[in-house]
Amino acid sequence: MSDLGAVVALTKRDLLRFTRDRSQLLGTIGRPAIWMLLFGSGLRRSVGASLGAAIDYRQFTYAGAIAMTILFGGMFHGITIVWDREFGMLRSVLVAPISRFAIVGGKTCAGAAVTFVQGMVAAAFAPLVGVHFGVTSALLLGVAMAVMSLGVTGIGVALGSRMQTFEGFGVVSNFVVLPLYFLSGGVFPPDGLPPWMHALFLANPVTYAVDWMRAVIGQPHVFDATRDALATFGFAAAGGIAAALAFRRTAH
Amino acid sequence: MPSPALAIRTEALSRSFGPKRALESLDLTVRAGSLFALLGPNGAGKSTTIQILTTLLAPSAGRAFVDGHDVQSDPRSVRRVSGVVFQDSSLDDRLTARENLDLHGAIFGVPRRERRARAETQLAWIGLAGVGDNLVRTFSGGMKRRLEIARALVHDPSILILDEPTVGLDPQTRRAVWDKLAEIAATPERRRTVFVTTHYMDEAERCDDVVILDHGRLLARGTPKELCDRTGTTRLEDAFVSFTGHDIRDASDEQGAGMSGMKMRLRMNGRG
Repeated sequence: MSDLGAVVALTKRDLLRFTRDRSQLLGTIGRPAIWMLLFGSGLRRSVGASLGAAIDYRQFTYAGAIAMTILFGGMFHGITIVWDREFGMLRSVLVAPISRFAIVGGKTCAGAAVTFVQGMVAAAFAPLVGVHFGVTSALLLGVAMAVMSLGVTGIGVALGSRMQTFEGFGVVSNFVVLPLYFLSGGVFPPDGLPPWMHALFLANPVTYAVDWMRAVIGQPHVFDATRDALATFGFAAAGGIAAALAFRRTAH
Repeated sequence: MPSPALAIRTEALSRSFGPKRALESLDLTVRAGSLFALLGPNGAGKSTTIQILTTLLAPSAGRAFVDGHDVQSDPRSVRRVSGVVFQDSSLDDRLTARENLDLHGAIFGVPRRERRARAETQLAWIGLAGVGDNLVRTFSGGMKRRLEIARALVHDPSILILDEPTVGLDPQTRRAVWDKLAEIAATPERRRTVFVTTHYMDEAERCDDVVILDHGRLLARGTPKELCDRTGTTRLEDAFVSFTGHDIRDASDEQGAGMSGMKMRLRMNGRG
């Protein structure tokens, strides 16, 4: 019955909360700024030299920094479901005549939307780090970011559904977000990695999202763009399914 | 089919948590349109009963009907006819009072064009219209509790279920809350049932019917006066102690209903 209306209402609620949280808004701008400007500029000379003349290190980390913004944003918003449970709000939703899929759908949609906006803010730093592209590339980059946002948020919701305390968020940051980021090819190229790390690089869904973003803005990339896109769409689907399955069994 | 004159009916309702039996073969009937109190010491099974009636917890055995709908086979209908106020605040404190009511209306399927009007009606009725656009986090405990009661009525439920609604409130607010509950149950044009759990016997004395629960079993049922007469007491509190004994219950509330450490800390800090 009212499931679709509920998804819209719950999405709206999360968006309202986000826009009222100044620290989050600040983080949205601050995080990519720090990574692209400080990290990218700082490592430009040392690491950058190994990349060859084709690409500057700041340009190389551009897609990676967007991916990192999306990783943190999506995970964080998924995990706000722990807040909802701790502060009781989730209970009032669980006694509503809507399916649990509507609840998880609202959470994932809102999280993906917020994460996408955060990704856009990061993407807007392009001119500052010497990255230039046209309108078509920008649109395709938007698609890539949206699809990746959905997948990451889904995984975040899945983790948050099974997590009992806020403290778990630190664990997720350290053992999920950072490895996914570092092994995505966004920080350093995969050339010459030890075989076990290369295997993780290939298994990491974020790898393909980063590669796809690079492809659409005309940067050197490793895989075929179609393959990147398919892998990223697959990741989004997997994230959505993981969220739905995990939340079905969540405690209240 | 359960009789339509019964708002709530349970048949041999039982729930175990591992070896612990939180609820044992409970047969409960609540008349439609009555103000009903479920009483019992900590760990008696009150919260377990509420969780089953609100479809948050499945019974281990037995059945429960709310307004004639089976909590297990038709939980959506049960949720549609129930308004629930939990022990701990379940408002979104980053939203305004109006936004909380609007969100509730939306997820309970109230059409958009009606939502605004219903929210205004409820805010005015509970006396919070003037602060409707303030964030809930700025509200006192009493204001939050009143808002939760107003919110629970936005989708026009026929049964209002409240779990210890007056814990931590000052006497003025407690009285105001009970006046509102009595008003809800007594409004002739919209007959609603009010089902409440409480530890305050002066509150229970205002109810039409009470049931005393202990160790998951029903000990007594009747009007407050009947229970006093049966025990030769004049106050319900004495009748209650006479039924349940003088032992102090150190057991925490039943599993699944207990507060997490975080909430406990917040509550002790006065924010819960």
